[in-house]
Amino acid sequence: MKIHEFVGKRILKEGGISVPESYLISNDREIEVKFLPAVLKSQVLVGGRMKAGGILFAQNKDEFLKFSKKLLHKKIMGETPYGVLVEKMVNIEKEYYLSLYIDRYEKEIKILFSHFGGIDIEDNKDKIERHSLSDIQKLPKKIQPIVQKLHKIMKEKDLTLLEINPLVKTKEGNIMALDAVLHLDDNAIFRQQWAKKFVHEEYPFHFVKLDGDIGVIGCGAGIVMATMDAISLYGGKPANFLDLGGGADTKTTIKALELLKSLSLKNIVLNIFGGITKCDEIAKAIVSFKEKNDDIKLFVRITGTNENEAKKILKEHNIHFFDDMYEMIKSAVKGDFI
Amino acid sequence: MINGTERVCVQGITGKYGSFHTKKMLKYGTNIVCGVSKNTKIKEIEHVPVLHNMYDAVEKFSCDTSIVFVPAKFAKDAIFEAIDAGIKKIITITEHIPQMDMLEIYKYAKSKNVTFVGPNCPGIILPGVSKIGIMPENAFKPGDVAIISKSGTLMYEIANFISKKSTGIKIGIGLGGDPIIGTSVYEALLYVSKLNPRKIIIISEIGGNEEILDVERFLNKGYNSNIQFFFAGRTAPKGKRMGHAGAIVEGLEGTIEFKEKKLENLNIPVAKYIENLLG
Repeated sequence: MKIHEFVGKRILKEGGISVPESYLISNDREIEVKFLPAVLKSQVLVGGRMKAGGILFAQNKDEFLKFSKKLLHKKIMGETPYGVLVEKMVNIEKEYYLSLYIDRYEKEIKILFSHFGGIDIEDNKDKIERHSLSDIQKLPKKIQPIVQKLHKIMKEKDLTLLEINPLVKTKEGNIMALDAVLHLDDNAIFRQQWAKKFVHEEYPFHFVKLDGDIGVIGCGAGIVMATMDAISLYGGKPANFLDLGGGADTKTTIKALELLKSLSLKNIVLNIFGGITKCDEIAKAIVSFKEKNDDIKLFVRITGTNENEAKKILKEHNIHFFDDMYEMIKSAVKGDFI
Repeated sequence: MINGTERVCVQGITGKYGSFHTKKMLKYGTNIVCGVSKNTKIKEIEHVPVLHNMYDAVEKFSCDTSIVFVPAKFAKDAIFEAIDAGIKKIITITEHIPQMDMLEIYKYAKSKNVTFVGPNCPGIILPGVSKIGIMPENAFKPGDVAIISKSGTLMYEIANFISKKSTGIKIGIGLGGDPIIGTSVYEALLYVSKLNPRKIIIISEIGGNEEILDVERFLNKGYNSNIQFFFAGRTAPKGKRMGHAGAIVEGLEGTIEFKEKKLENLNIPVAKYIENLLG
């Protein structure tokens, strides 16, 4: 889960990292000028805010009022801002790039550092140094204590990525974080109380809307993605990604079907290979949904744990099902049960 | 990795999944000798005695292997207990274990020479012999193809296909799809190549590129196996599935296009459809 910059900055400050003086404006009524000049930053969870016009510099009161109002209501790359972060302008002498992340291959926390930070980092990727925490002495002296603090923050807050770009040296000689990109491990939210208010779990499954017209439901991210891939390879377009997760029950499956129904889809593909998931639970959901939504075509492939029980339930209700996933997908792309 | 002689303890045996799959594993022939649970009311599950800690499991029942169903919140403590008790193989089915916990678990398991498979994996199956896992056994007919998979459900799908249309499966190893896993594709390759399978199918997804580095390393060691790949996630929306790592960190290296190109240079075929995995 990505964390908003204003929260990230608070976390950095608590962890002993210098950040500019700041406050958050959440709506028009809260607009207030506390200092000038100020940097106004749209609180959206997308990269490249600067280039997309999400960061503006106000020199005087008029600009401040105009810019803050504008940013509060401006979508940045399709995302509505959470608010506007107002920061005191800093005198920058030098910009660096610094991030800590969990390396999947070496299974440890690694450091990325560059003397060339700022918005041009994308063009200077080859100048990024990669170090292990045990090689911290290879970094400039002033950066080392920052890394140690960030490492502590990362472990305590269950972050998978902590990126500061730019990290700056001010003309007064301080090292300061001007941005903060924090990724919180979704699996650790149970012990990170502060993050709970930013979690909006709408569904008990993983759902991503896409722009196609064939609904997709499956259990397990791998099989759902393989199903989407096959739909595309056969000339169709998936309307979504929806992974019921392991061990989905009847209730969860009905919720998933109802959600896809709300997208006004005519064809929905259910690719179920039950391992930890019991097929009969899914079959019961299909029956219940079909009773109320006979106009929606369900292309069902069901096999695995409790397969026989599931097939019996579907047969009793005259619901067509397939044994082979590709046969089912081919039919769904054609929109017909062949 | 497993040979059927393991003396298995089920950690979290009284839970919904633990009890259900204990029954299924017993039926398959897996040598489950006891279970461990913090639930003190249940004394046995399917005639398998339920103990309260891993030390007793090792001492009283000589367990050497554990399969973990303990909920994510308590998984780290349970796994540390198993390692401290002297368990040598740990297969973790539990999903949603935090990455910081996994970094610690990984380090500890390595330091004690424990084989750790998972987490968030379907386990390991030797078709016709034993399964320490949750996979639907009907999909795995005994045969000569080895499967190494980072995706549980796709492993079932492909095993099922190979079992119906080809010779069947010699071993199926589910490594788990999490960013930090105990056993790598490289380690699994070293292991399965000892079994002389006719071919090795590696199943992976979009994101990361460890499996490519692993295959490269395997081939560089002089191994010459018949390896084929299958990826899921060609149509996955950019930035959604890969959200766990910054763009700067992963760049293009997690895309399937990048991985396919790398494999092409190594002369390793990538199947677009499961049907292409035949032969």
